[in-house]
Amino acid sequence: MEKIEIQDILYKVEKPARYLGNELNSIHKTINESTIRYAFCFPDIYEVGMSHLGMQILYHLINNEENVFCERVFAPAIDMEEEMRKHNIPLFGLESRQPIKHFDFVGFTLQYELSYTNILNMLDLAEIPIYSKERAEDHPLVILGGPCAYNPEPIADFADIIVLGEAEEVQIELLELYKDFKKQGYKKDKFLQEAAKIQGIYIPALYEVTYKEDGIIEDFKPRVEGIPSKITKRIIKDLDKAFYPESIIVPYLNVVHDRVALEIFRGCTRGCRFCQAGMIYRPVREKSVERLSNLAENLLASTGYEEISLASLSTSDYSGLQDFVRGLIDKYSNDKVGISLPSLRLDNFSLELIKEIQKVRKTGLTFAPEAGSQRLRDVVNKGLTEEDLMNATEKAFESGWSSVKLYFMIGLPTETEEDLVGIKDLAFKVVDIYHSIPKEQRGKGLNVTVSTSTFIPKPFTPFQWEPQIKLEETSAKQSMLKDKLRRKNITYNYHDAKTSLLEAVFARGDRKLSKVLAIALEEGCKFDGWAEHFDFDKWMGVFEKAGIDPAFYASRKREYDELLPWDHIDAGVTKDFLIRENEKAQKGELTQDCRTNCSGCGINQGFIGGIC
Amino acid sequence: MYKIRSRFYKKGDMVFISHLDLVRVLERAFRRANIPMAYTQGYNPHPIMAFATALGVGISSEGEYIDIEVEKEIPLEDFMGRLNQALPEGLKIITSKYISKKAESLMSVINYSIYLVKLPFTEEVGVEELKNRLEEFTKLEEIIQVKEQKKKHRFKQPKTKEVNIRNSIVDIEIVQVEEKEAILKMTLAAGSNGNLKPEIVVEKFKEINGMPIELQEVRVQRLELLTDLNPQHLTPLDIDV
Repeated sequence: MEKIEIQDILYKVEKPARYLGNELNSIHKTINESTIRYAFCFPDIYEVGMSHLGMQILYHLINNEENVFCERVFAPAIDMEEEMRKHNIPLFGLESRQPIKHFDFVGFTLQYELSYTNILNMLDLAEIPIYSKERAEDHPLVILGGPCAYNPEPIADFADIIVLGEAEEVQIELLELYKDFKKQGYKKDKFLQEAAKIQGIYIPALYEVTYKEDGIIEDFKPRVEGIPSKITKRIIKDLDKAFYPESIIVPYLNVVHDRVALEIFRGCTRGCRFCQAGMIYRPVREKSVERLSNLAENLLASTGYEEISLASLSTSDYSGLQDFVRGLIDKYSNDKVGISLPSLRLDNFSLELIKEIQKVRKTGLTFAPEAGSQRLRDVVNKGLTEEDLMNATEKAFESGWSSVKLYFMIGLPTETEEDLVGIKDLAFKVVDIYHSIPKEQRGKGLNVTVSTSTFIPKPFTPFQWEPQIKLEETSAKQSMLKDKLRRKNITYNYHDAKTSLLEAVFARGDRKLSKVLAIALEEGCKFDGWAEHFDFDKWMGVFEKAGIDPAFYASRKREYDELLPWDHIDAGVTKDFLIRENEKAQKGELTQDCRTNCSGCGINQGFIGGIC
Repeated sequence: MYKIRSRFYKKGDMVFISHLDLVRVLERAFRRANIPMAYTQGYNPHPIMAFATALGVGISSEGEYIDIEVEKEIPLEDFMGRLNQALPEGLKIITSKYISKKAESLMSVINYSIYLVKLPFTEEVGVEELKNRLEEFTKLEEIIQVKEQKKKHRFKQPKTKEVNIRNSIVDIEIVQVEEKEAILKMTLAAGSNGNLKPEIVVEKFKEINGMPIELQEVRVQRLELLTDLNPQHLTPLDIDV
């Protein structure tokens, strides 16, 4: 395979360092006839993709395999894509600069629904047919995985293989199977049928969906014998034994998260009812302090990074947090290595710990009460009180912070005007608390930022049956808040309701939506998550052309007995549990943290044998 | 605290990283190489380093300079050896020396920069013709560059400023002419003397003398940064500091 010459183009495009492919710790292998080529694609620009921890893990994991070469591919920025199309350059792997259309596997990670058009655009740019049924034997196998794969139906027609759950083990099993087939004579359909028997592998083409007249799913069943009718997600039992890279790629460019990301545990025991991650990543599994300390040491030494971030869904819930963080401070403060702890909950917010971290490097403070009133916070099972928030902000202001962010959702089930007023009240109280602290003690220049986004009901959450509020309602709520939050020192930001609507459609969509995506590609929709590229009117035209009503997916209340597009997927939590939780939500009843009391979600039935 | 002044090159793929990227690459290389860097005070400590000038994206250089501070004295061979191991291909420290803590900053001692500039033409240009045109160009008393000033208000038109760049052009000589390509060597004012980019000179040359230059394909290489031209060329490492 020839290497594509891009030198002259690099002089023309913005940020050419995106396309160099030779960053520190990137992997370059000698390629021969038998090398299995894997393109790991992130359907967004370099700076976003390189901030993604999952890609770093899988890139190094796959490259650990002998005779497999995994390369990175990002969505080229608009200017680069123009140059590539002008010069007939197909999408290539960053490391080898060879066209990915000749690779064995082209994998995409599904991090957010609004990147689906980028996936299709990248396939198109790669000169690979977008529909799986149009791809021949010598085309690459298109693999999709990641959180959005829990409802892969809107993009199922484009995928050959979908990976459900944590990929560290199943990815290797799949490659082993592929190697075996390559040795004994590879036939795509035979390979896919065999692959479908591996736990966590879903081959959409092997299943058939039928719909009722009203558009609701009538039946979903395998087309062939010997493959499961329900596809179960994969999890890693022991994270200490699971692969984790000792070195990660260090970009030249300033990417969104430009630091060592160290995953400290998976899963979350809190059970917030809107949170998909909290449901699909169950059960909680921690890494040991010892393993983490080793990883931290190796990662810092191999990258030279000046900051390490402890990644998890709820960092303060890590049982060894105090020990581990103090150990890091002792060891690395002389080297001026900063520690960041995102996703801290404020009910057990350990300010002392934060204060110590700040001695090295200062970071901002974000609190996520999610809802403005206690009633609504109980509905979503965010076990957090106003008192918690007030105590935490008071301590923060006393310790010298003067800038805090408060994050809320609007349009949560059962929300009323009172709940929105509650957002205002909370923000005002935070301002008052600041002023109650003596001038010499508090920092200067108070800034309280209130951010709201529109609630998007997601599959495998207790709210998966609930409607999203309509665009007009969102706008009305936003302007009401805009009005109410007009006060010195308060900034109000809100997320565009139109992109939230699109996200809601694809989050709970079915296979009928593949047609919508294919038309969107023709119409030139891409980078829909970027405000400057998102064109809502164009999208509405696309839906019309496809004869699909977005409201059917976004703002329709589903019945419990409806067959949902993702019901053939087993994410570990049972439907009974989700129904129970939704019922409790409507009544404003709380469910305890799994660490205190098992709520019977079903994850300990068959996944890890009864211990959470 | 000790101060080290070094000369380094930036070429190959590294021409595509920006000055800010370069700062990050160096910071992280210092860490990996275990150089005992001195840090700035404050909430966001950074290793102390200062450059002569910022090099634009796409421009290669044989002669860049950086001053850094270390907390304890280390042998220069160690410093260079360890750092060069940690640096990516295309970046390399060529020479280093300890300088006085009170030495004037690199930025203030630099006065000139010498460049090689490759000019691709859209049609053939003869040596004589190029010579004559260059003579015409350098004989001009005024070469006006219209600079756009930074926008202060969103709705107001950005202000423009006219600058005579003639005096910033010290010398231009022809190195080589081939059918549709020429290589020029330019000595231009740099640093505290005002910074003139060779791309601007090329643009003006095209504009004023009607040269058939393919601007997008002009390539620039910096050869030297100098503190003095006469009586002899002096680099920031030659001067007594």
